[in-house]
Amino acid sequence: MAYHSGYGAHGSKHRARAAPDPPPLFDDTSGAYSSQPGGYPAPGADVAFNVNHLLGDPMANVAMAYGSSIASHGKDMVHKELHRFVSVNKLKYFFAVDTAYVAKKLGLLVFPYTHQNWEVQYSRDVPLPPRQDLNAPDLYIPTMAFITYVLLAGMALGIQKRFSPEVLGLCASTALVWIVMEVLALLLGVYLATVRSDLSTFHLLAYSGYKYVGMILSVLTGLLFGSDGYYVALAWTSSSLMYFIVRSLRTAALGPDNNGGPAPRQRLQLYLTLGAAAFQPLIIYWLTFHLVR
Amino acid sequence: MSNLGQFDSDFYQSNYTIDNQELSSEDSNAYGHLYVSGKQPASDQRQPAFIPPEMLLPSGGEAQLFQPASSPDYYSQSSYVDSFEEEPPLLEELGINFNHIWQKTLTVLNPLKPADGSIMNETDLTGPILFCVTLGATLLLAGKVQFGYVYGLSAVGCLGIHTLLSLMSSPGLSCGCVASVLGYCLLPMVILSGCGLVFSLQGTFGTVLALVIIGWCSLSASKIFISALDMKGQQLLVAYPCALFYGLFALLTVF
Repeated sequence: MAYHSGYGAHGSKHRARAAPDPPPLFDDTSGAYSSQPGGYPAPGADVAFNVNHLLGDPMANVAMAYGSSIASHGKDMVHKELHRFVSVNKLKYFFAVDTAYVAKKLGLLVFPYTHQNWEVQYSRDVPLPPRQDLNAPDLYIPTMAFITYVLLAGMALGIQKRFSPEVLGLCASTALVWIVMEVLALLLGVYLATVRSDLSTFHLLAYSGYKYVGMILSVLTGLLFGSDGYYVALAWTSSSLMYFIVRSLRTAALGPDNNGGPAPRQRLQLYLTLGAAAFQPLIIYWLTFHLVR
Repeated sequence: MSNLGQFDSDFYQSNYTIDNQELSSEDSNAYGHLYVSGKQPASDQRQPAFIPPEMLLPSGGEAQLFQPASSPDYYSQSSYVDSFEEEPPLLEELGINFNHIWQKTLTVLNPLKPADGSIMNETDLTGPILFCVTLGATLLLAGKVQFGYVYGLSAVGCLGIHTLLSLMSSPGLSCGCVASVLGYCLLPMVILSGCGLVFSLQGTFGTVLALVIIGWCSLSASKIFISALDMKGQQLLVAYPCALFYGLFALLTVF
């Protein structure tokens, strides 16, 4: 038995080129071939099985075709489920940016006091994409700012010798949870105040995400200039962000008809906007002070 | 048991000679050993289940052992039997083409040369996986066992950049293509990691070097993406996410 099983590994090659019949000793467990009628266990299971051997077999062909159809079916199902929750076209609107828009918007976030016209422009009741309208919100800047914040947090912790890869994940998930909570709170506020506006979830996500630009600036200044620099930058970015949010949300809530609704509702909207704006410095401080010691 | 002796002699005699014949027509000599070549289908029914394998050789079967045409059972397609000789070499079958890998690596290493958008049409993941393993190995030499983080970061980053690119432009690239491009442009990061073995990267020079390498990686990657997706006025916008992606790797390397 020993000398037979010793050559088991070579069974397939010999079998392929010389012996059309697989011997009972060396069961070819690779393809669709069942074991021999002798019912022998395969002592030298063929390690070096021939790939062509597999593909030349009709049953394997059927199996591969079935497998690929299952895979494409699965992919279609995933896409369908995803499209039920996230409208990709609406999402694409927020990513239609170019370099000039991003540069100007970043400047606006840092210094919004000289900007005159805050209204979002429409063309036939459809808001213009960010490429063509500086006031339109986008999701590119918030996403990039979020990831930059996680990176900067990692770097700041590394400088303080407190870095490990788990910390990156911790930072990212903490910030993500805060964003989700803020967006949910804003959604609740918008629903309660029954604001008739175009403020969809993505809009609120965009406006919540702009604070990460302020956070990055504060952390950078804190790393370069120490604790004092951090507090100065924090004050500056907080105030400019509050101004930006108040001005943007007030005009965004108006919609294409410039119709604000009855007075109590307008007051509610104002309170909501002010509340959202006041929350920003708190969260900026909360998420960054431990990085700048 | 006298049959056993007869089988044994047949076994040694037939297989060895036939193997010699086969060897002369084959490249590999690795299998020029004694081998039980099989039995005839007609003898199937005659063999009870408990016969030990040594006794299974048919007595008169040697002459028909190596004739493909006489065995309709298992290898009925003649293409199968021929295909062993025509079988492509292993590397070609796996799709690994070292020449292409080397050319793509050279393209990445020179970020200032304008890229040809068609080179990344074939989704080749061998080079990227090789670079990931090399990065993990150099990190291991530095004492950080972070293979899992390297692979996890690459997977998540590839998915993220694929999503971003398909949202920013018409969906033209598949995820495998994105992964291939990002993986090839990871090579300078391996160089940074190698430098980190020689001197500590946590000083000013190390920071500057890390920034330069991140810029190099992201410039190459964005150049290829821009030419492949034909996006105008967005190179910096594509370069920045790539810079973030490589920045995460630099964090792992430096700290």
